[in-house]
Amino acid sequence: MFGSGFPTNTLEDFDKAEVLLLMGSNTTEAHPIIANRMKKAVKSGLKIIVIDPRKIDMVKSSHRHLQINVGSDIALMNAMIHVIIEEELYKPSFINKFTVDFDTLKEQVKMYTPEFAAKITGVAAQDIIDTAREYAKADKAMIAYTLGITEHHCGVNNVFDIANLALLTGHIGKEGSGIMPLRGQNNVQGAGDMGCLPNQLPGAVSLTNDEYRGRFEKAWNVKINPESGDTQTRAFENMENGSVKALYCIGENPLVADVHMHHTRQLLEKLDLLIVQDIFLTETAKLADVVLPARSWGEVEGTYTNTDRRIQRVRKAVEAHPNTKDDWEILCDISTRLGYNMHYNSSEEIWDELRSLAWEMYGGMPYSRLEKEYSLHYPCPDESHPGTFILHQRYHDEDETSTRQSPFVPVMYTEPIELPDEEYPFTLTTGRRYESYNTHTQTKFYASGVKIKQTEETADIHPEDATRLGIESGDLVEVSSRRGAVTVKAKVTDQVAPGLVFMSFHFSEVPTNVLTINEFDPISGTAEFKACAVKIRALQ
Amino acid sequence: MEENAKVKTVCGYCGTGCGLILEVDQNKIVKIRGDKDAPVNKGQTCVKGSFAYEYVHANSRLTSPLIRKAGKLVETTWNEAYQFIVEKLKDIKSQFGPDAITMFATARSTNEVNYVTQKFMRTVIGSNNIDGCNRT
Repeated sequence: MFGSGFPTNTLEDFDKAEVLLLMGSNTTEAHPIIANRMKKAVKSGLKIIVIDPRKIDMVKSSHRHLQINVGSDIALMNAMIHVIIEEELYKPSFINKFTVDFDTLKEQVKMYTPEFAAKITGVAAQDIIDTAREYAKADKAMIAYTLGITEHHCGVNNVFDIANLALLTGHIGKEGSGIMPLRGQNNVQGAGDMGCLPNQLPGAVSLTNDEYRGRFEKAWNVKINPESGDTQTRAFENMENGSVKALYCIGENPLVADVHMHHTRQLLEKLDLLIVQDIFLTETAKLADVVLPARSWGEVEGTYTNTDRRIQRVRKAVEAHPNTKDDWEILCDISTRLGYNMHYNSSEEIWDELRSLAWEMYGGMPYSRLEKEYSLHYPCPDESHPGTFILHQRYHDEDETSTRQSPFVPVMYTEPIELPDEEYPFTLTTGRRYESYNTHTQTKFYASGVKIKQTEETADIHPEDATRLGIESGDLVEVSSRRGAVTVKAKVTDQVAPGLVFMSFHFSEVPTNVLTINEFDPISGTAEFKACAVKIRALQ
Repeated sequence: MEENAKVKTVCGYCGTGCGLILEVDQNKIVKIRGDKDAPVNKGQTCVKGSFAYEYVHANSRLTSPLIRKAGKLVETTWNEAYQFIVEKLKDIKSQFGPDAITMFATARSTNEVNYVTQKFMRTVIGSNNIDGCNRT
């Protein structure tokens, strides 16, 4: 809609905003330092409206909690848009100058009255109205979101609706106003920006851009297919139908991390060739034909891109085992042996090649400047450029004459694919916990003497449900779905609503993803980790 | 007493990008503090960032390539592992085309590794079948 999917602002902008819609982000546990910043901003006047099915810790610092039903985000946002249009809380001059398809949006949200949305979301109509007014009327307002928005079959539509809200109210392109996806991995932003996506080249430019693709074809001396490759979820489909024969998997544990685990295992076992490159013999590596020992954080040089487009240097602290290699060295060795010569002496040499090709983004940030300035936000095309703190500032430029207009992308609410029923009466939603990280291959190694509160998985259930099922905290229960079952200890907590169960996927002893559903967003390929139907049975 | 070496770096867990100072003694990370100069965290750290580093030195780290022989993963040399991979990839590419090969890149490693990973796929393999755990 805005022409790119980058986080629009910086983390500092949370300090400057008046209102923050915090959507599907358990910030305290998943991004503790960002949560600290938000909580501090609350003391100087920031109003946080937490939109989350669980009573997460951030609720304590919030102005309001909209405890929505899992997967009902679009109903909520469409109703907010409905209110904003109905009460004319938008600037017609802004809409005329910078947007198109406003009428389509207006038409689409007509049915989403606050009362209609209240039925779907479980949130009071008045709370929806108040939230819409506060967000729209604020001088500066931000939206931050995490996987609670994207890990749905309608994840892309959720993000479109966030953009609709921001565009409608003009909360984009200025200090304290914008959209911040909070990235879960240290370099998830960077990996995509570097072109580790099926549809884009380094610098986050589409493969279909002939001029840009040509630049890389010339530098690399190859022809590049302009058509998108497979997303990870499409790759699994193509393993199933037999058209994908080989998987090269670097530093990832899809067997435990991905939905519908029994199925994933069958697909990996079916491959002609599975190469795993990692620092541990992960559950996925155990299925491989060949495993290559890589170097870890602390042993390598390079850069990461954080959640606000900030490039920072990571440095080697210790010497790795001599029989391991940095990931890029391994790839260069294999490439050269396959007949395409690739050789670099250092990570800096790789960075400089990237900077010369994707110069609009990174041209102005050599290692020497990063050393001096600590961090730089892209785009930063040359060394005199200070870096870019806020994207899309043209929306607030008085002299803006560009005729480029941003389209609204109206979306409809669709319910989660698998709703609770008589047989499977609970909704399972999954996420992360504070002390653990993803499939826990690293966080099981804490420094000695550190007291860890959550050392094993639990199924978090509401006291009402627990009483009805005769379950107390610590009791063993079986949680099962149409796809599998796990045995796990119950944790009785009012953090979840009645009818909702929460589990993480950190512990391979309790492989939560045997339960989750094999359904994906058709555009992004992101799986519906956040909603499936389960039943719970007390084990005596 | 000799002071431990200190290395400035960025945390490898979530996407916040906290600056850290690693204290190193005899080639081991022995302590991690938040870097007060770091723009993102100004000296703060969370429990993962400051304490969950022992994995770097874990005994269970892989220190040799492994190859499957008679159904079991056994230690091998880099040379043998490379030869096996190169032959298999060549076979699969010539028999089924480049799109029969797919890459899962890692959002945990550096920009430089990710640049080389996609270059590997788009040059020598000739496929855009590359995706990260961005989606999972």
